[in-house]
Amino acid sequence: MSRWEYFLRRLLLSIPVVFFGATATFVIFRFGPIDPAAAIVGEAATEASRESYERTREQLGLTQPVTDHYVEYMRDLFLLNLGESWVISPGTSTVDLITTYAPRTLWLGFWAVLIPIFVGIPLGIYAGLNANTRIDYAISMFGIVWRAMPNFWLAVILLVVLSQSGQLFGFSWPDFLVDTPVTGTPDLSALGSPSGFAAATKQILPAAVVLGSASMGSELRIARTAVLETINSGYVELAKANGVSQRSLVWKHVLRNTLVPLVPTITNEAFLLIGGSIIVEVVFGIHGIGYLFFQAAINGDLPLVTALVFVFVLVVVAMNLLQDLLYVLIDPRVGYDGR
Amino acid sequence: MAVTDPILSVEGLQTSFHTDKETIRAVDDVSFAVEPGRTLGIVGESGSGKSVTARSVMGLVDSPGVVHEDSRIRYHEPAFVQRMARRYPDRTRTRARTSSGPDPDAESNESDGFVTLEAFEGSGTDVVVDRGFVDLVAAPEAVVRAVRGREIAMIFQDASSSLNPLYTVGNQLEELLRTHRGLRGQEATETAAALLESVGIPDPHRRLSEYPHQFSGGMQQRAIIALALACEPSVLICDEPTTALDVTIQAQILELLAEIQADRDVAIVFITHDMGVIAQTADRVSVMYAGEIVETAPVDRLFDRPGHPYTEGLLESIPGITRRGNRLATIDGRVPTPTGDATACRFAPRCPKAFEECHAVHPSLVSVGDDGDHRAACLLQPTDEDEAGRLEYHGGESDGEVGEDRDGDSSEHHHDEGGPER
Repeated sequence: MSRWEYFLRRLLLSIPVVFFGATATFVIFRFGPIDPAAAIVGEAATEASRESYERTREQLGLTQPVTDHYVEYMRDLFLLNLGESWVISPGTSTVDLITTYAPRTLWLGFWAVLIPIFVGIPLGIYAGLNANTRIDYAISMFGIVWRAMPNFWLAVILLVVLSQSGQLFGFSWPDFLVDTPVTGTPDLSALGSPSGFAAATKQILPAAVVLGSASMGSELRIARTAVLETINSGYVELAKANGVSQRSLVWKHVLRNTLVPLVPTITNEAFLLIGGSIIVEVVFGIHGIGYLFFQAAINGDLPLVTALVFVFVLVVVAMNLLQDLLYVLIDPRVGYDGR
Repeated sequence: MAVTDPILSVEGLQTSFHTDKETIRAVDDVSFAVEPGRTLGIVGESGSGKSVTARSVMGLVDSPGVVHEDSRIRYHEPAFVQRMARRYPDRTRTRARTSSGPDPDAESNESDGFVTLEAFEGSGTDVVVDRGFVDLVAAPEAVVRAVRGREIAMIFQDASSSLNPLYTVGNQLEELLRTHRGLRGQEATETAAALLESVGIPDPHRRLSEYPHQFSGGMQQRAIIALALACEPSVLICDEPTTALDVTIQAQILELLAEIQADRDVAIVFITHDMGVIAQTADRVSVMYAGEIVETAPVDRLFDRPGHPYTEGLLESIPGITRRGNRLATIDGRVPTPTGDATACRFAPRCPKAFEECHAVHPSLVSVGDDGDHRAACLLQPTDEDEAGRLEYHGGESDGEVGEDRDGDSSEHHHDEGGPER
């Protein structure tokens, strides 16, 4: 079937992409502006520090010829042998660091993707189905405002409002339902229990709302446009003229066609979350992978930075594959005459 | 008048689009009727209001478009009228016709009635209807929806965009069979395959599981015709169904429509700008210009002796009819957008035969010839009168009982209401 052939092709094509991404990371590490060994050891003023600098260079593989180093480096990356952190947490393997920090970011990203999908898209679809009414104008305005507010600003404002919600509204956010602090890393160890799940969700929610805010705005706008486009299409008019029921018209003929332009929007917005999570995690004091990356970068922990960049490359490629998979599932035209 | 009663009749149809700037009268006082097994061609340039007329009949005019409430769109199929009369006894009126005696007991004068019975027995939910009609303008949305597809189906111009690209052709056919005829599973699949076969699609079982993009343009239009036939409608409205197709495919589709008409006795309203297609398909032709019907006649009469300069212009601009070597005749200018009450002939600015009064008097449809079967809205008609006499016919420069045409058909009146209502 040509749809699945198409997907298989995309899958195979992602291998050179990962390869190229890994090579780019190597170039940053080896030829970038920061000497990794110098960043780890610091000023090489004394004889002892010069010695430790040389030793570090050797351990990092910087003394080998470039080609040998490259081959070894790539082999390690693809075996997920990502080395150790040197500055942030000396001696800890980066894989351990990532498995500790990543779930918090995944939890944040999960909600930051869900909120736009379950709030933004339904609102946009409703606005599109009721185009040019007051409620449509209200929803569209809401979408534009939400889209326009910058993350760092919204994060700070939300922090201020929530931490003082007791005085401002007579309703205390920290005490609401379950006791949680406004900032800090959520405890994901008790996700299985209802109270643990509630606490972890509640604590991540403000950060997730901020992180998902822009996506929500743009997904709302695109959902509205997509619905309008579909409603005015020939096949909806013909279905109507042929007496298809109103319910089938909306649920079968309009909604699925609306998804076609929405899928790339959702996945593209999810890429942005990787960048956005760095700011939001820092403001909300969540020790996630974005926070880890930020710390590693400003402290020049280049082995950790390269490992994280490689992980980000893998995530982006995986998201792209997910997008292709969704396309294949939704649209039968994919792969048809597309080669 | 035709021998048989019409299945669909439209009288004084007015459809306007209200925008902030102006009110566009896309369809302005249009009347026509079509009988079972016959084809009415509606012909005119782009922007003459043909497609809006079709959409008005189907109840598919979307905001800001409004079908004027005094318009009458009547559907006469007795079985459907009977179903509606039984379902909406409170909104059923009776009207005496010469052949059937009025029944005073069943008489109800509901002002919001939309079902009218002309020949019937019994009353209430047991009524048996021989003749009557449902007024689709006054009818509630649910009734209009019951008409769509099942009673009156439509075929649109652009076949490639008329099928949902995400569902197989079989899925879309079976959805209609399920909605209108309650067919499911194997039975629906078999019926769908039979439908595809009947519109000349080979290997129908395999084709059912294919997506629209796997069909060629001609095959897509055939599939759309199959969709329209799925519910065995009595009237088929074809809105330029062959315009997007190349000539050989066009001929095949026209042939197919003719076969279907012969088999199923379906009435066809065929909308096109192509006089050649009209010549092949229509029994009767109405020529539309700027929202109005300017001439209506049996097809041969229209082609032999057009009564309106616009029709003459259309006929002269058919390639192949003019002699070789001559330049193809055209009508200069474009169709105006009608925004107000017609106070003059809307074609006058482009008309080679226009004279002074054409810019001051709005012509009404008058008989060309003697039998009332051929009518044109032109101040040059009727030709057996002198200019003053002709103007009198059209309601200009006179206070007499004019504006009404000789055969006294009430549909011919020229409406004088103020502005269009919101």
